[in-house]
Amino acid sequence: MDVKRKHEIEAALASEAQAVSSGRLKEDSPLDTSVAFLDFCEACRRGDLKAAQELLQAGVNVNARDQHDYTPLILASLCGHYEVIQLLLENGALCERDTFQGERALYNALNDRIRNLLLSYDYAKSTNPLQPLAAHVSSLLTRPEPKTADITITAYDQSFRLHKFLLAARSPYFAKKLAEAPNTASWKLPHAIPAEALRVALQYLYFSEVSLRNVLHGLSDDEELVVLNGVDKIGRQLEMERMFEDITEVSDRRLLRQKRAEELVRGRDQLELWFRDNVLKNKMIVDTDQVDGIRWDRDNSIFADVLLRADDDDGAKSTIYGVHKAMLLRSEYFLTMFNSPFREAQDARYLHVVNLDCTPQVLETILTFIYTERSDFGLDIAVDVLFAADQLFIEKLKQRAALIISSLGNGSTSTVEAENPRGETDAEEAIDVYEIIRAGWDTRVQRLEEFCARYIAYRLEHYIDEAEFAELVQESAKRVTARQETDTVELIDDIRWYLSERFRLRFEDTHFDEMMDENPKADREALADAVKDLDISDKTAGAVRTLDGEIAGDEFAQDAINYQILLGKIDALLENLGLDA
Amino acid sequence: MIAGRGRQRIRPPRRGLHGDDLDFDSTWVSIEAAFREIHTKNASRLSYEELYRHAYRIVLKKRGDELYKNVYEFEKNWLASEVRGSIDQLLSPNLLANVQNVGGTTANERRVSGEKFLKGLKQAWGDHQVCMSMLADVLMYMDRVYCQDHRRPSIYTAAMFLFRNEILQSNISETDERDVLGLLNHVILEQIQMERDGDIIDKHLIKSCVHMLDGLHADDLESDDQRLYNVSFEREYLDTSRIFYRTEAEALLRDSDAGAYCGHARSRIHEEEDRCRSTLLDSTTKKIQNVVEAELIQNRIHELVEMESGVRFMIDNDRRVELNLIYDLNARVDENKSEVTRAIQRRLVEMGTAINSDAIAASQATSTSAQEKNLNQQTVAAIKWVEDVLVLKDKFDRIWRESFNSDNLLQTAITRSFADFINSPTFPRSSEYISLFIDENMKKGIKGKTEAEIDLVLEKAITLLRYVQDKDLFERYYKKHLCRRLLMNKSISNEVEKQMISKMKIELGNNFTAKLEAMFKDMAISEELTSGYKRYVEGLGDRDPKRIELSINVLTSLTWPMETIGGTGEDDASKRPQCNFPASVEKIKRGFELYYNEKHSGRTLTWLPNMGTADVKAVFPRVPQKDGSLKERRHELNVSTYAMVILLLFNELPVEQSLSFNEIQAQTNIPHNDLVRNLQSLAVAPKTRILRKEPMSKDVKPDDQFFFNEGFKGNFVKIKVGVVSNGNKVESDRERRETEKKNDDSRNFCIEAAVVRIMKQRKELSHQNLMTETLSQLAAQFKPDVHMIKKRLESLIEREYLERVEGAESYRYLA
Repeated sequence: MDVKRKHEIEAALASEAQAVSSGRLKEDSPLDTSVAFLDFCEACRRGDLKAAQELLQAGVNVNARDQHDYTPLILASLCGHYEVIQLLLENGALCERDTFQGERALYNALNDRIRNLLLSYDYAKSTNPLQPLAAHVSSLLTRPEPKTADITITAYDQSFRLHKFLLAARSPYFAKKLAEAPNTASWKLPHAIPAEALRVALQYLYFSEVSLRNVLHGLSDDEELVVLNGVDKIGRQLEMERMFEDITEVSDRRLLRQKRAEELVRGRDQLELWFRDNVLKNKMIVDTDQVDGIRWDRDNSIFADVLLRADDDDGAKSTIYGVHKAMLLRSEYFLTMFNSPFREAQDARYLHVVNLDCTPQVLETILTFIYTERSDFGLDIAVDVLFAADQLFIEKLKQRAALIISSLGNGSTSTVEAENPRGETDAEEAIDVYEIIRAGWDTRVQRLEEFCARYIAYRLEHYIDEAEFAELVQESAKRVTARQETDTVELIDDIRWYLSERFRLRFEDTHFDEMMDENPKADREALADAVKDLDISDKTAGAVRTLDGEIAGDEFAQDAINYQILLGKIDALLENLGLDA
Repeated sequence: MIAGRGRQRIRPPRRGLHGDDLDFDSTWVSIEAAFREIHTKNASRLSYEELYRHAYRIVLKKRGDELYKNVYEFEKNWLASEVRGSIDQLLSPNLLANVQNVGGTTANERRVSGEKFLKGLKQAWGDHQVCMSMLADVLMYMDRVYCQDHRRPSIYTAAMFLFRNEILQSNISETDERDVLGLLNHVILEQIQMERDGDIIDKHLIKSCVHMLDGLHADDLESDDQRLYNVSFEREYLDTSRIFYRTEAEALLRDSDAGAYCGHARSRIHEEEDRCRSTLLDSTTKKIQNVVEAELIQNRIHELVEMESGVRFMIDNDRRVELNLIYDLNARVDENKSEVTRAIQRRLVEMGTAINSDAIAASQATSTSAQEKNLNQQTVAAIKWVEDVLVLKDKFDRIWRESFNSDNLLQTAITRSFADFINSPTFPRSSEYISLFIDENMKKGIKGKTEAEIDLVLEKAITLLRYVQDKDLFERYYKKHLCRRLLMNKSISNEVEKQMISKMKIELGNNFTAKLEAMFKDMAISEELTSGYKRYVEGLGDRDPKRIELSINVLTSLTWPMETIGGTGEDDASKRPQCNFPASVEKIKRGFELYYNEKHSGRTLTWLPNMGTADVKAVFPRVPQKDGSLKERRHELNVSTYAMVILLLFNELPVEQSLSFNEIQAQTNIPHNDLVRNLQSLAVAPKTRILRKEPMSKDVKPDDQFFFNEGFKGNFVKIKVGVVSNGNKVESDRERRETEKKNDDSRNFCIEAAVVRIMKQRKELSHQNLMTETLSQLAAQFKPDVHMIKKRLESLIEREYLERVEGAESYRYLA
């Protein structure tokens, strides 16, 4: 394993500090002493997924550090919370080899599983969270099919097929120009500006990583000067002041990355602003029975080229969004649709209306994600978003929805087991776990199945006797046979695993396993018999009782017996269902 | 924001996603209707969103397998009825008749019906692909979810299998059990056959059908080696091609000559290559080439090479283009090109042997005529031999360059063949002949040639020299010839001689030329000596009008071939009778010896009068001229030293007195042989009869009397009196035996030296290793006879340089 030596790290640290203090480099992990950030650190320390997710959505800086120089990632890594680490990394926490903070997170990793997770997110392999959006927009410059461009810009001898909404969103100059004449279909640049310069500017505008060095490679000094002047001129004309500076300076990797990240955030914000001001503001809410009468001309002020329709739950109102195929292509569903020879891909006088099988709120969430990469929606629509994303093949959004469900789904109950050792729950659960696990199965999100197994394991007392639970087990068993010929029931396996985790946490130090082995088999059978006429309702007494109502000597003994009872119940359930697992 | 969400609950998923309100049958009806539209090319009116939604819901409701099955059945029915129906219409009786090989249809009819069939099939396949990709678009969710979960092939793949099953593998008709695929193969093959016969066919059309076969697999796993193209069509194609080419090869061998055969084979190979590119698939190129090569070349190459119009004919008639063809063909199937190589080598050795025997015949043809003439004849034969070999070499070089693409293997083979016949044991004269060739050129041949031309001649000689194995023998001859050239001043240009030496140096190394160079050095020193002596004499005092001028060559005895110089060899140099010079000459001789000893003390000069010449001014008495006046005649006679000594005897003799042979010999002490020859040239040769002999006969007998021939008439003032047997000629048999003996002697020394060198270094060595090392050390000079080495070893052991190691086949060096 390639690990830096101490003096190398110290040298890197010193030069980094120098770079930061001289203002060349922005600090990756600025000091943050706000209450929200300290709460966030605490959540990471304790492994509180839900709190962490909520704070992240509220906009806490995932890469800041506290007064002891700890970043949330280091804390979570040190304390061994795998899911939290995953959450942090997915939200852009940096873990880069060869940086002080990155190495610290690796050093401190509690176990190899976490270490490997961290390594897999090293900057070289992972990407800026906005990179997928940027990559898509960049690809629009060169994508030949389907045709989505609506304006042609010509410089010298080259012409570029472009998208008005992107031009308007990114360049104030175009915003003004297009507002004056939205129907413009072509635009010619003065001859003084070379095509190369325009290409560079457009690549920049379309979120590509542009390096002027590459562009100028192989040009003579004169040509170089012409191109540079052209870029400068275009930058000023399009009112993208930072462009010239952004693409000229190419120094070290981190500086480059920071600049790139800043530019992506700025670009995304521009796009988001434009999206909210135009797409969302121009949505139309009409009575569903009149929706068929809606006609949008091809030339419209927001440059939409297709309409999306979503109906309210009660079916009375429909909402119509004018959107851009170019962006919808991020969904494989739309990509196939617009590439096919079906009606939606044909040119018609008025824009096609594509019906989507979700509420306007869900559709708006999806569109927001597609246009801005943002996915901060609530638990209330998470399952709907999950299904919609599955239907439209937007994998990333699906994962986001699953993440939200699994991190917020525990309701107000903390996921931190230490705080709820006895499986006590709120009277009112935030989720219908049966619904979630089926959704997980339907949409093939492994994470949800694991989440639910854990959820149930920690509250098995409540579910073990419900008829629907038995049904669920049966369903899981069926899924297995459909996949491969084995005898395990995945759900039960998972539950058993989490159950052992739940109890072992407290037994680990006391040789619980040995104790288990000492238990005579007869005892276990006796326990299983006792389970059959179990009555949970009398678990109201204040004394320390086991699940079968016996009074246990202390909480420790209570746990041991409860564990046996629960395992026995699972066996009994399987036997009843005729499953052999 | 967070606060608002704290108590969020998940709402139940909406609207029937999870309800049981799915009416599968009616949904399917609408899907099916849409699919029909797609198949009838009316898709542009259909809504993708709607179709997708239907399929999505069905899959979400876990009824994906029903959907899959329905689509499958639908497609199957469609293919079986609609598509199959349209194919059926193409199966004209004409087409079917072909399959059964029933005659009665013209080629044109067959082509038209075949093309129609291919077009129809291509159309059906194209439509099927387009429709199925649209279906796959609509059923994307099913493909991704249901098919992946249940390990089913995607609907597109399944539909491709269907096309294979329902169309290609279906029977032609109820009564005809052959399948459409077989028919397709047959039609394509027939079209290809038409093209082979010179017709034009629609390559593009066939290519489309081939692509179809390439896209389909014989199994359901889509494994790469199960493509229909490979397992069905290609196999048949290769088989029919094999039969076709086998028949064609037979016919061609029977009906045309080798050149035409090669040309045809080559164009067939290219044709097949083109066909693979334009009509079939590139992956077949290699395979069909193997077939064509096997049938047209591999199995026939031997026959082809041996044909009457085969390689031998081509070589003899310089058919270089055809040779190139046959070489090319052979190279395709055999990287060693063994057949062609063998034929070439055989022919080359044959031709070389013919040259050898011509030379021998020429040298013996005139054995009945005079000795001198005979020798000349042999020289001519030698030069002719060299030139013939060079012509042969040129011929094969050209063939090699133009026909064999300068192939290294063949160059080696040709070189080996040349070496074979040049060093052939039945022809031992190559070294001598080459040396003679050089000699001839040095003396006459290069006169008036430009530098480049001369260089070419020298280069030719070197080329031949390369082939010669016994380099030492050559060295011996060359030295001998060079010696004569130098001493007799026969060489046209010293420069060219030196050039030759430096060329040999490059080719054979320093050792080889060291002695030759030393000879040149001696010549240079001698010139200095001569002029130095002349200055020395002039410095001595008054000019003596009667002084005899001396031009001298001092030769280092070891460098020069003594047998040539001394006539009898160096071993009896001390016993050689000293010739008695006349007083005036003797004086000069002493003078020079004095001068020389002053310069180099301790050196012995041995005079070789047999090698010298002298210019003698002779005055003949007045004889009546044509105009009646009497005139003294003066001639300058250029004679050998011996002749000069003889003539001077007559100076002191009164007119009309004679000397007998014995008297002359007694007075001069000239060796018998030399005396006979010199007297012959002075008294017998008709143009230089300065002496008169009685009785007049050709032979010189001891009691013959010699007179000064006062009536000698010469047309020129300067007269050169040649001595019989002067100059470089082919050796007589006796001389050759002698040369060989000498050569063997010096080889013996070389071998002993090599053995001692090796043993000194290795101390102990097995017999086998010693032999190998010795052979390799000597390879540059000559190829020693193993028997000879053994003898030398014996001799070395006798002389206690080596001893045998007890009980082992090895030797030890004794220091």
